[in-house]
Amino acid sequence: MSQNERSNPEAPVQGQARMDVAWGANDGDETEASAQTAQAAASGEIFEQHYTPWNGTLNPRWMRNWAILRHHVLGVFSKGHRPWSMPTRIFILITFLAAMGDAALTLVSSLFGESELHTIFGVSRDNLYGHVLGFFPRNTLYYPLIAALLVGGVISEDRQHGTSALYFSRPVSRFDYVGMKFLAVALIQAIVVLLTYCLYFLTEILAFGRGWAWMVDVFPMFVAGLLAGVLLIFTYTSIGLSLSSVSRGRFFPGIGLLAILFGTKTMASIVKNLFEREVLYLFSPYDCLAHVGQTIMGTQPTYTQYPWTYSLVALIAMNATALYVLATRVASMEVTRE
Amino acid sequence: MMPDMSQQGREGSSDWTPDTTAPIVYLNGVSKSYGRIHALSNITLGLSGGVTGILGLNGAGKSTLFKLLMGKVRPSAGEVRIFGEDPWKNPAPYARVGFVPEHEKMHDWMTALEFVATFARLHGMTKPQAEKEALRVLDFVGLSDVANKEIGRFSKGMRQRTKIAHALVNDPDLIVLDEPLQGCDPLARTTIMNVIRELGKLGRTVLVSSHILSEIERITEQIVIVHHGKLVALGNLHAIRDRLDQIPHTIRLVGDDVKHLAKDILDHPAVYGLSFPSSDELLIQTYHFGALHAELPGIIVRGEHRVREIDNPDDDLESLLTYLTGGGA
Repeated sequence: MSQNERSNPEAPVQGQARMDVAWGANDGDETEASAQTAQAAASGEIFEQHYTPWNGTLNPRWMRNWAILRHHVLGVFSKGHRPWSMPTRIFILITFLAAMGDAALTLVSSLFGESELHTIFGVSRDNLYGHVLGFFPRNTLYYPLIAALLVGGVISEDRQHGTSALYFSRPVSRFDYVGMKFLAVALIQAIVVLLTYCLYFLTEILAFGRGWAWMVDVFPMFVAGLLAGVLLIFTYTSIGLSLSSVSRGRFFPGIGLLAILFGTKTMASIVKNLFEREVLYLFSPYDCLAHVGQTIMGTQPTYTQYPWTYSLVALIAMNATALYVLATRVASMEVTRE
Repeated sequence: MMPDMSQQGREGSSDWTPDTTAPIVYLNGVSKSYGRIHALSNITLGLSGGVTGILGLNGAGKSTLFKLLMGKVRPSAGEVRIFGEDPWKNPAPYARVGFVPEHEKMHDWMTALEFVATFARLHGMTKPQAEKEALRVLDFVGLSDVANKEIGRFSKGMRQRTKIAHALVNDPDLIVLDEPLQGCDPLARTTIMNVIRELGKLGRTVLVSSHILSEIERITEQIVIVHHGKLVALGNLHAIRDRLDQIPHTIRLVGDDVKHLAKDILDHPAVYGLSFPSSDELLIQTYHFGALHAELPGIIVRGEHRVREIDNPDDDLESLLTYLTGGGA
């Protein structure tokens, strides 16, 4: 074959090895291997390509959404999915282990047979509340930080990797895309908050050999704790993602969420201590969650100046506002820089 | 103000059937502005079947045109339709579309197989289906032997092929390629061109953008030229070229005895001027480029002139645009 024929794009050619020559080196341009392949390019010939069409059928919307969801959630555990940053993954692990502390100490109290230890660490109304809504250490140190780390990059990193542009060139609507992101962030938090909560409860049953009577007795309390946990996760996620939707970077949504959670709580505490008025707690997502949680779990309320329904309404208003911002931003989201 | 829920998207590929009477791609009076910048202005266009080259200089509005087609941005005015549907409001037609973006950001942490399979699953394929189809398209673009290698370790050409594979995994009827040849070596370009031509032969509608005329010329005869956000030409490249041949052109020759060659050419009726920028270089001005270009090899052979280079400096997109815009390019 002459040189002219070789460079003629119409010229038919065969051979897999030659294909690599046509496309450039398989091992990257900077390696020795690429230089060796480049030598073979002197005979550069190109495959005659034959496209084989696919005759399958495409599955429904829920399967596409499931693909997005698992891509995000599995990314916490393994490669080949969405790459959560290493600090985020390490912090999730640390929080998971810390949240498992309740279960571990319950097991220890069972092994030692000390009733005092069980009173401190075992399953009780206050301890179940503390596992989900206790301000220290979980809601000052762990849960909001996890939410901040997750919401910070969940949309902005897609822009960084060009993923949102690729998503929107598929039959995936913007609401499905953001909805699955919401669900993925919530599920990862649920692994830390609710899975450990369930494991704590299960440890108590197994370690102390609890029977049906105990379970039936404690179950409403357990379900109330689950409900409080779901409310906590939903609220943190909706506020966090609404901040994420108005931001291009990962810093603002993360810091913004922490500022809202801790800032409102701190301001409300200061006002309460100075003026003996609790009304500012209605602007604090954490305090509204705690107030509603205390009521549905039946623990001693720490908020006495206003009824719990005020907190519930405030919580609904906060979530509605956050979801409105998110929906509005998502509906008009243009991918202009990818 | 309530959020615009109309673009939530109707259900999907399985429930959606395209409007077979409508053009696959249709734009009617479409304009797009980013603040005070007008990226596209009053574009009207309908395309169905075959390969169409979208030509334009950098910043002409090619990428904005593709972003509108891919539902990434909303038109400021006019209507955009793919398979008869508004892609901003309903993403279902994308089940039949494959898109190769211009940007170089890729999922470097994934293998080619994982990358293509992940996006195959966004079409609703099951995991085994997605992996099977990913291997099919990776084989088509010649990457089957490196399917399990991380994209971060790929060369530029391989990354482009991976992007093409991911766009083909759903066996699309419309394939949109934004500058697919940019940065590739000549052999990679030729192979990508073969892929595009092969898809065109199968009756798929392929849109491919470029700012290099010769690249598009090697792929297709059907072109759309965009300039400063406006549609300046649409149709057969040869028809446009024939008209271009009637305007003054320059042919550049480099050889050992260009002065003798000039004597032979001087009498040709199509020639109206000659100049010698250097001792071995000859510039010929002609009003009938096509006629002279056809006869030039014969003149060179008969006169036994030694010519090392023949070049047509006016045969590029800039010249075409200058002609089409009446010198305003």
